[in-house]
Amino acid sequence: MQYKSQAVAKPYFIAALALFVAQILFGLIMGLQYVWGDFLFPHIPFNVARMVHTNALIVWLLMGFMGAAYYLVPEEAETELHSPKLAIALFWIFLVAAGLTVVGYLTVPYATLAKVTGNDLLPTMGREFLEQPLLTKAGIVVVALAFLFNITMTILKGRKTAINTVLLLGLWGLAVMFLFSFYNPDNLVKDKFYWWWVVHLWVEGVWELILGAILAFVLIKITGVDREVIEKWLYVIITLTLVTGIIGTGHHYYWIGTPEYWQVWGSIFSALEPIPFFAMTLFAFNMVNRRRREHPNKAATLWALGTGVMAFLGAGVWGFLHTLAPVNFYTHGTQITAAHGHMAFYGAYVMVNLTIISYAMPLMRGRAANSNKSQVTEMWGFWLMTVSIVFITLFLTAAGILQVWLQRVSDNPMPFMMAQDQASLFYWLREWTGVVFLVGLVVYLASFFIKGEEKAAA
Amino acid sequence: MNVTPTRGIARRLDLVFAFLVAATGVTWLVGETGSAGPAAVALILGLALVKGWLVIREFMLLRRASLLWNLVVAGWLVLILATIALTYWKALR
Amino acid sequence: MTETLTGDAPVSRAAALPRHPPGDLAIWVFILAELLAFGVFFAVYAVTRMKNAALFDAMQPNLDRNAGAINTVLLLAGSWCVARSVDSIARDARPASVRWLGAAIACGGGFLVVKVFEYAAKFAAGINLATNDFYMFYLSLTFFHFMHVILGMAILIAVWIKARAGGYSAADHRGMETGAAYWHMVDLVWIILFPLVYVMR
Repeated sequence: MQYKSQAVAKPYFIAALALFVAQILFGLIMGLQYVWGDFLFPHIPFNVARMVHTNALIVWLLMGFMGAAYYLVPEEAETELHSPKLAIALFWIFLVAAGLTVVGYLTVPYATLAKVTGNDLLPTMGREFLEQPLLTKAGIVVVALAFLFNITMTILKGRKTAINTVLLLGLWGLAVMFLFSFYNPDNLVKDKFYWWWVVHLWVEGVWELILGAILAFVLIKITGVDREVIEKWLYVIITLTLVTGIIGTGHHYYWIGTPEYWQVWGSIFSALEPIPFFAMTLFAFNMVNRRRREHPNKAATLWALGTGVMAFLGAGVWGFLHTLAPVNFYTHGTQITAAHGHMAFYGAYVMVNLTIISYAMPLMRGRAANSNKSQVTEMWGFWLMTVSIVFITLFLTAAGILQVWLQRVSDNPMPFMMAQDQASLFYWLREWTGVVFLVGLVVYLASFFIKGEEKAAA
Repeated sequence: MNVTPTRGIARRLDLVFAFLVAATGVTWLVGETGSAGPAAVALILGLALVKGWLVIREFMLLRRASLLWNLVVAGWLVLILATIALTYWKALR
Repeated sequence: MTETLTGDAPVSRAAALPRHPPGDLAIWVFILAELLAFGVFFAVYAVTRMKNAALFDAMQPNLDRNAGAINTVLLLAGSWCVARSVDSIARDARPASVRWLGAAIACGGGFLVVKVFEYAAKFAAGINLATNDFYMFYLSLTFFHFMHVILGMAILIAVWIKARAGGYSAADHRGMETGAAYWHMVDLVWIILFPLVYVMR
């Protein structure tokens, strides 16, 4: 760790991992509710568990991004963070706000929560992933702006590298797009149209810039390849991302009441969205192949390579499978969507966060890499989680194909709940695999506590 | 990159340009006559193929690149035009 | 402590890859992606036409073919000028190189002007994306291309500025070749677009 202020990343990473655990626990609750509908009813009904699961995911990924930024920006800009104190303050504000929101979801009926948090003033609640009360949303904006201020000031006073610039662009983009969560038109078509400006332009837009920048940073450090080479790849990747992803938003505009030409534009451009992910995979493998050093942190290298592969598979390939309008006509809103969503989020954003944590945590704890024993344990965690998610995805894909067949394609379409019943084997398989995933997560977390002969910082 | 400092290359480029304009003229003429059907389509696609090939080889200077690059870029041209030809043929049946 | 790079000499890129065309490899990756995007768009157009041949044949004569042809010549001329510009700089004829670039930019500008008039006429006639499938493709394909002409011109202008300031020479004009390659791609795409949308029936 070259600059003292990089240490502020640590609490962010720790909180992120804690929220990751919460996310998985609530995921397991829901998985069980798929097959045993009354599980925990009425105390934690499915819709509440879902809010906790998805919101926890997003908050922990955001915390991870913030930690990543606090870690890599001072090193890239070659100067201390503008205000470490602000970073810590924001950490607690964000964490407490997130915690209170989750408590609100769990303990207060949603309608009451809406009333007491001022939803009547400006209705922003009630939409998927954006269920947070107005207060929380406002809090997120404040935290994001202060975070951006901190990071931007740091970059302005230091070296402006391609990695810094791309990261900043991604983070500012993230904040700006979040503002659309405050825009909630009465017209249902417009409501959905703009909702995607947050969701799609996040995960298939500006978040990919953040992903690229973090990956590039880690690859420079662990491979020692020329910065110029890596930065050039980064520019190519983000250009491909924006060129395909912006109009690619149209693949969410097929059936919501927008004009028909979106079926053409959305299909064409979103079909190309796997390309930047493919480039990222090539990029990661190429850089590791051309490495000039044998970095002692093998686990971080594994995470970096894994991110490329799983992001390409989950976001790229699985996304492609259902992105063309003629296909999507049948698969829209089915378990196919869930299959893609899980592997995409895990492969791209969970894994890039775990990559930077894997790389940075040992350094913040005073060593270049953890002991062999710790790294091997961490790698066990990697494989358990990654293989689990692949199987979860396969099972959900199977459930989805069955659902599409029974509910939409067949000559005598079956009602929704009947079709769900038919898929219950796949849901059981998914749930058990989810337990394995949790085991993997526990193993991964255990690796942080394993001692042994650590590799001294070079 | 070895570039002999002669005016030979410039002359070559001029000739290519002249040909490209002429080919465009032919395409435009076909349009003027309102010709339709397999012969017209074949002629126009053939001209597009030649024009594209010339731009790729002479302007983009793919002729100085490896075989692989030529195959990829020229392959794109051929693939697109072939796809178009196929759809026109199917539409005519 | 420090995670600095080792002090090795840079890996020779040429040794690692088959010899790529003139210009930066990065622009060629981008060019391939663009060609793919346009290619898919063309294919979808062609397939849609196949299913609606009567409509497409009926609407096509309404297009301003003369404008399309003029634009084709303008882009070809632009490409020719860019190619001549690169050839000039390769012989260290710097002022000539700058003049050829200027001419290319003028050609590109001409394209944009013609296109704007073409669109204006269509919009005045009440034609828009929702009119029918043919017009939807005509407008979106040509507009997508239009945006690329603008980007191509921005690149050429940047190159022109640097060339005027003496930034390129016979020994080093990679940047010019890079910009040239992108411009040629824009021309290449139109070489297919014009006959496909305006002429073939």
